[in-house]
Amino acid sequence: MSGTRAAAARRRKLVLKALESAILLLALFLILFPIVWMALTAFKRPVDLFDLTVLFTPTLDNFRTIFAAPWNIGAAVWNSTVVAGLTVLISIPCSTMAAYAFSRFEMRFKGALFFTILATQFIPAVVVVLPFYLLFRDLGLLDTHLALVIVNLAIVTPFAVWMLKGFLDAVPTESEEAALVDGATRMRVILDIVVPMVWPGVLVTAVFCFILTWNEFLFALILTRDDAVTLPVGITRFRTERGDLWELIAAAGILISIPMFLLSSVIQRHFVRGMTGGAVK
Amino acid sequence: MQDRRLKYVLILPAALLVLGTTIWPLAVSLVTSFRDWRLTRSLTPGPFIGPEHYVTALTDDPDFANALQVTASFVAIDVALTVVCALGLALLLRRAGVLHSMTRAVLILPFAVSPALVGISFRFMFNAEMGVFTWLAGTLVPWLQGYVWLGDPVAALLVLVFSDAWRWIPYMTLVVLGGLSALPKEPEEAARIDGASEWQVLRDVTLPALMPVLAVVAILKTVFALKMFDQVVTLTGGGPGQSTVTLAYLVYSIAFRWYDMGYASAVAWILTAMLVFLAVWYMKLILRKPGGA
Repeated sequence: MSGTRAAAARRRKLVLKALESAILLLALFLILFPIVWMALTAFKRPVDLFDLTVLFTPTLDNFRTIFAAPWNIGAAVWNSTVVAGLTVLISIPCSTMAAYAFSRFEMRFKGALFFTILATQFIPAVVVVLPFYLLFRDLGLLDTHLALVIVNLAIVTPFAVWMLKGFLDAVPTESEEAALVDGATRMRVILDIVVPMVWPGVLVTAVFCFILTWNEFLFALILTRDDAVTLPVGITRFRTERGDLWELIAAAGILISIPMFLLSSVIQRHFVRGMTGGAVK
Repeated sequence: MQDRRLKYVLILPAALLVLGTTIWPLAVSLVTSFRDWRLTRSLTPGPFIGPEHYVTALTDDPDFANALQVTASFVAIDVALTVVCALGLALLLRRAGVLHSMTRAVLILPFAVSPALVGISFRFMFNAEMGVFTWLAGTLVPWLQGYVWLGDPVAALLVLVFSDAWRWIPYMTLVVLGGLSALPKEPEEAARIDGASEWQVLRDVTLPALMPVLAVVAILKTVFALKMFDQVVTLTGGGPGQSTVTLAYLVYSIAFRWYDMGYASAVAWILTAMLVFLAVWYMKLILRKPGGA
């Protein structure tokens, strides 16, 4: 009797194990398939698009086409790089200073101030972009890098302050205090002791903000037309009156995604922190 | 310089950035929402008309009612799907195994893909004639052969949810995994020694301890689902008809297709009010935790 029960338990365990593997295989498939399919499509000739086979003659033509006229995707790569780069270069130093003050000092209205800065990340981008659209139109700044950098700062800064405060809270304060006792000024302490110690955290935050800005779509859609178009808006240009040029969309999609895959893998361990602050671990 | 003054100097640049890039446009939108201002008639703001736009939106605009309903459906399905799948997947991935570590390694990838690109890729994969998902669904379920996914109001909304969930579930799984690894091991082991089944351990020990993390996941996902815009543009274009027009997309349409800045600002502010409410709730939840910020 107990033998059959043990056998039943073993069988049950086996079934559960198989079920678990099946679920994980399905998850792997669902996660990877859209990426793999985009990568395959990028190397297909237009005639092969309708074919669902993975056996086709690969071509690099699509990549040549998107860099040539009239698409000139290189310009969008440049725009995305400049906008994301400038946004990070402006935001990170400001956010580091603020995060340090929030981490180390007590002050009046500190809670309210910190709360306000963090709460702004919940504001929908579409409400922010309306006044900026009108302002930039009046100033003649529509379709410029500067316009995009300004609005992207709105998205990036709250995240950066939050992430950096988490990193700074984790840095021990003893050596700072010792240096202060020895007569060093606070600015010296920040530059010579704090920044080197928190540098990895600063890099992680910078990479996270770069990814956010690189992938940003709504601002770029509304505020650019020709000169400052970034990659996410650039790919929508392949949907023409003659139809959607999927093979070119896929090639450009690979171009947008590869650098972000690399960057996010580098900071993988800290990536979760970006969106959730210190709320989880 | 004294610390007393320095701390304010340190905060000033970031505070000015937030003030200039978020608080200022919020205030301008709020003022504009009480004015009659159509760019097709005038390049300068028109007269104040009181809360008329808000009254119109809430009582007399079928487009707004439709967008509210679409957004509510989208948020409800998207959040429920994300929380359940992220929790389930995280509980499985907690264990050791080859498949487990392979899956853990790829969880970060979808979140790195631009949402606009996610939308356009799903449009391709659900294309009626050559979409690979259309083909796959038709092969598995013959009844679905040649189904025009993006031509049906309900199916289009579900595809929109699918595209958003594809990007978010793996990310939220990472969040839940982080929460799980931070839980103390002892309570679970003690329950097992006391003879509790795996299911009882999960229900009575693990899930209650994980509740704060799940609340974070649910609220964050609600916020980002409410703001959803990119994939509406690149995947469905709001269609078929208006069946996938979310509130954020409606604001965009009113402002940049009909150029009615006053009314667009009012609808934007209704959306903002919902999000601010959620934000306050969320921040209370996480700032209350000792050392949580």
